[in-house]
Amino acid sequence: MKVCVLLRLVPDLVEELEISENEVVPFQYIPNERDEHAIEEAIVLKEKLKDVTLDVVGIADPDSADEIDEGLGFAAAKGADKLYKVILNRQTFSRVEIAKALADFLNDRGYSLILTGVQAIDSFAGSLGGALARFLNLPYIGGAVELNLNEKLYVKKELEGGISAEYRLPLPAVVGVLSAERPLSFVPFTKLRQAMKRAEIEEVELEVPKISGVELVRYETPPEPDVLMLEGDVEEVADRIVEVLRDISVI
Amino acid sequence: MKVLVVGETVNGEVQNITYELVSCAKKLGDYVTLIMSDADVSSIDGRVIKVNAGEPNPVYYKIVERVIELEKPDLIVFGNTSIGVDLSSQLSTNFPIATRVYNVKSSKNLKEVEVRSMAYGGKVVVVLKLRLPAIVVINAGSYDAGEGMGKASVEELELKYFDIDDVEFLRYIKPEVEDVDISKADVVVSVGRGIGDEANIELAEKLANLLDGVVAGSRPIVDQGWLPKTRQVGKSGKTVTGKLYIALGISGATEHTEGIKAKNVIAVNTDKSAPIFRISRFGAIADVTELLPVLIDKIREIREK
Amino acid sequence: MEIEEMLENLFKRMEEVPDYEKFFQCIQCGVCGGSCPYSTGTVFTPRRMVLAIRAGIVNEVIESFSHWLCSSCFTCSLRCPSRVPITDAVIPALRELSLLQGNPPEELASALISIARYGNPFKKSPRKRDDWTKEVEFEVPLMAKKKSAEVMFLTGCYGAYHSRCRKITKSLAKIMHMIGTDFAILGNEERCIGDLARLNGEFGLFEELAEKNIRTFSKYSFSKIVTHDAHAYNALIREYTKFGFGKEVLHHTQFLHKNLERLKEMFNSLDYTVTYHDSCYVGRRNGIYEEPREVIRSIPKLKFVEMKRNRENALCCGGGSGIWLDSVIKERVKYRPAESRVKEAFSVGADILVTACPLDVPMFEDALKVTDLEGKLEIMDISELVLNAIEG
Ligand SMILES: Cc1cc2nc3c(=O)[nH]c(=O)nc-3n(C[C@H](O)[C@H](O)[C@H](O)COP(=O)(O)OP(=O)(O)OC[C@H]3O[C@@H](n4cnc5c(N)ncnc54)[C@H](O)[C@@H]3O)c2cc1C
Ligand code: SF4
Ligand code: SF4
Repeated sequence: MKVCVLLRLVPDLVEELEISENEVVPFQYIPNERDEHAIEEAIVLKEKLKDVTLDVVGIADPDSADEIDEGLGFAAAKGADKLYKVILNRQTFSRVEIAKALADFLNDRGYSLILTGVQAIDSFAGSLGGALARFLNLPYIGGAVELNLNEKLYVKKELEGGISAEYRLPLPAVVGVLSAERPLSFVPFTKLRQAMKRAEIEEVELEVPKISGVELVRYETPPEPDVLMLEGDVEEVADRIVEVLRDISVI
Repeated sequence: MKVLVVGETVNGEVQNITYELVSCAKKLGDYVTLIMSDADVSSIDGRVIKVNAGEPNPVYYKIVERVIELEKPDLIVFGNTSIGVDLSSQLSTNFPIATRVYNVKSSKNLKEVEVRSMAYGGKVVVVLKLRLPAIVVINAGSYDAGEGMGKASVEELELKYFDIDDVEFLRYIKPEVEDVDISKADVVVSVGRGIGDEANIELAEKLANLLDGVVAGSRPIVDQGWLPKTRQVGKSGKTVTGKLYIALGISGATEHTEGIKAKNVIAVNTDKSAPIFRISRFGAIADVTELLPVLIDKIREIREK
Repeated sequence: MEIEEMLENLFKRMEEVPDYEKFFQCIQCGVCGGSCPYSTGTVFTPRRMVLAIRAGIVNEVIESFSHWLCSSCFTCSLRCPSRVPITDAVIPALRELSLLQGNPPEELASALISIARYGNPFKKSPRKRDDWTKEVEFEVPLMAKKKSAEVMFLTGCYGAYHSRCRKITKSLAKIMHMIGTDFAILGNEERCIGDLARLNGEFGLFEELAEKNIRTFSKYSFSKIVTHDAHAYNALIREYTKFGFGKEVLHHTQFLHKNLERLKEMFNSLDYTVTYHDSCYVGRRNGIYEEPREVIRSIPKLKFVEMKRNRENALCCGGGSGIWLDSVIKERVKYRPAESRVKEAFSVGADILVTACPLDVPMFEDALKVTDLEGKLEIMDISELVLNAIEG
């Protein structure tokens, strides 16, 4: 069975973003956490089923093309069999347009299962998974936290408020992963380096089509919050929190 | 403007988000709500189209598609929920879409609509213009559910010649039996990734004990296995409703803050622009690992007296 | 991983460590286990680890978690009659097996991932590494601006980011400023030196860090490095040399000692009783025992007392490579060396426990709280004591 996972980069929020009207510039890019979970879940599936070959498709822009390599290296070190690097030629932030480009690339590659992280922090115009499924004319389900295969695919999907539900899908299908069923496994540097040396990354450039209808007006910094700040050094802050706790009669 | 609200039900119960969406639609013009199960819909305000399909299912996008053909709305609104994202994203190949929206600007213009979306973990507001008809996916908590409640006028709709069995709903899985129910606790001390080490969770526990509260956490803390799933606050966890919520090293992503309905929120974060402050009554810029030991000592002293 | 593969990996790694062949000279005397602060909680003491490796049952060691119950204090290695490199070879190589299997303790994994991504274990932005310089009254010179200085001052991750340890960094910078040392820092260009990653078995990351840091060093001209981070000091003099680094490195205890004549002129008298804790990688590992004592003794009126366990017999604070294993160790070992140590300091009548490694200070301060010694005993780095004496 051929499984494919899509891996995107997202801005790293450890440092302030530079926000202007028409641009958001991050300090660096890191792999999308939900996609990392999708890779982990694919590895879990591979361990459960044995006869799985796993392709990981890294998606990057020309300016982040090098940064995806490490993410792909991690995937290879964990057990991915084949790596692709898709460089998008785009003017867009629209996930639907990206989905269209990817669908053309993924079509006819014989994947039984395509996994992607259910969301990315920088998506505000659509979500990749569902749109991709429609362009490929495959069933879709998101919010997955556990996958099992027994002829058909069994998916545990998280709904709201701690309730989950189980669904059954025929393959091929597209699944949006929320969390892998186990914590992300660790990859030491030696293994990463070896994997990156060994790994052949097939590079592909994709033209992203323009599907009009969504237009960026501007980016804005959110307004100052309406909150009472308890100022001071640690001692003072602690004192003021104690005061607050008294005021609302928690102590 | 005519708005189609795609409502949600779980286990035969209309979900709160549905009322919030109706409340949003009401501000924009005419509206009708679609419900795709046999739930009791009587308290949804306005026209309700009921297609008795069953439990929530991503493949019901096909139903929504048919209803769009019948009703020809200018705007289709979904909740930013597990099922709402499934449905809306599958329809986004045919309609312009904006996600994580917290505000839709009303206007008489039937060509386009302006929406505001909260992206980048709540650090950037994105203002978008969508050509109509379009889809918007709205964050829970953006509109007042109360305004969406009222009296329903229900129309049953039967859809024929429909093949929707490629994704089958099998069963609900209830949350595991819990040691404590954080949703009912009066005081919740909640930790996020800013707590740093697993070892520091002990500090949060100490604080919680002193305040007769319980410890909860954000999703990454649960994903890492530092706290059990029953302690997760947020969209896919619990909603806390008590007197006090102390958020320690939590950034305040909407998926997390959706679960905070406590009367008072105190947030501690090293980042002064962390979105968590936006929903807090009190805030402090501090390193939680430094603050906690000091705070614990002070409270302990008071307690001992 | 099959046992064969584990053994192969283990030996390949151990072979790279100096004195590796001593491994085969273990006489199973048990001195190591008897010396280890964690021996009560462990199934495989170092002696048994050696035995297990020889017997080819290394998997049992890994499964037992024993290889994680170690803070790299170096007591066993120093006392071992055969000089088996337990701390530098056996334990890190065992730990690496867990890393290769993808399942080290969570806490450690997140620190290592952060070091790889941000160059520090705290998931803090590398651009905030020099934030501490905003908290001193003078301008701390930057290498990037100055290009050349007599002394390059390395702060280490704890010294740069950890709020308590930053106070030590600031004290030392202030002293250098006061005595007119021509110094500069790397600021945001500095990355984790990596000693604790190495001791935790992340050899690949250590190499990467060493190469990166050495490349940064080579951009500037300086004649020596001064650092108060005992583990940075250790790695620079013992490990970085393997990657071609060859500059002089001074631990801050040595630096203060070298400048003692100048400092003496500035000292005011201090009316305290102090004792000195020999941090593992200052004392036991690197033999710096007398310099800090001489510095302390030259402060007028100060009363200096020794603890019973001093010099090479000093007790570990429990930090070291155990700093990211706290929850793992806590779960299995009741005994907390830091608590025993502060009690000892108090029992000899000290008002102040002076140390010389940034990890000690928060470890001991935490221990004060549980031993009810808060307010009765103070913990200070030697540079803080010196600054106290200068400022009177
Ligand atoms: C479909 C879906 C459902 C989800 N459901 C949930 C859910 O139910 N609950 C949930 O919580 N999340 C949920 N998430 C994840 C959510 O999007 C965020 O990723 C998550 O809430 C972030 O957790 P955090 O705040 O702990 O971590 P981060 O976002 O990494 O924030 C850490 C914060 O700690 C601060 N910090 C760092 N160091 C310190 C320090 N020493 N002292 C003080 N502050 C410090 C940082 O400034 C930062 O603000 C969901 C995501 C998706 C896609
Ligand atoms: S002290 Fe040295 S020789 Fe003795 S058992 Fe331990 S390792 Fe072997
Ligand atoms: S280095 Fe210290 S803690 Fe580690 S095994 Fe040896 S004696 Fe025990």
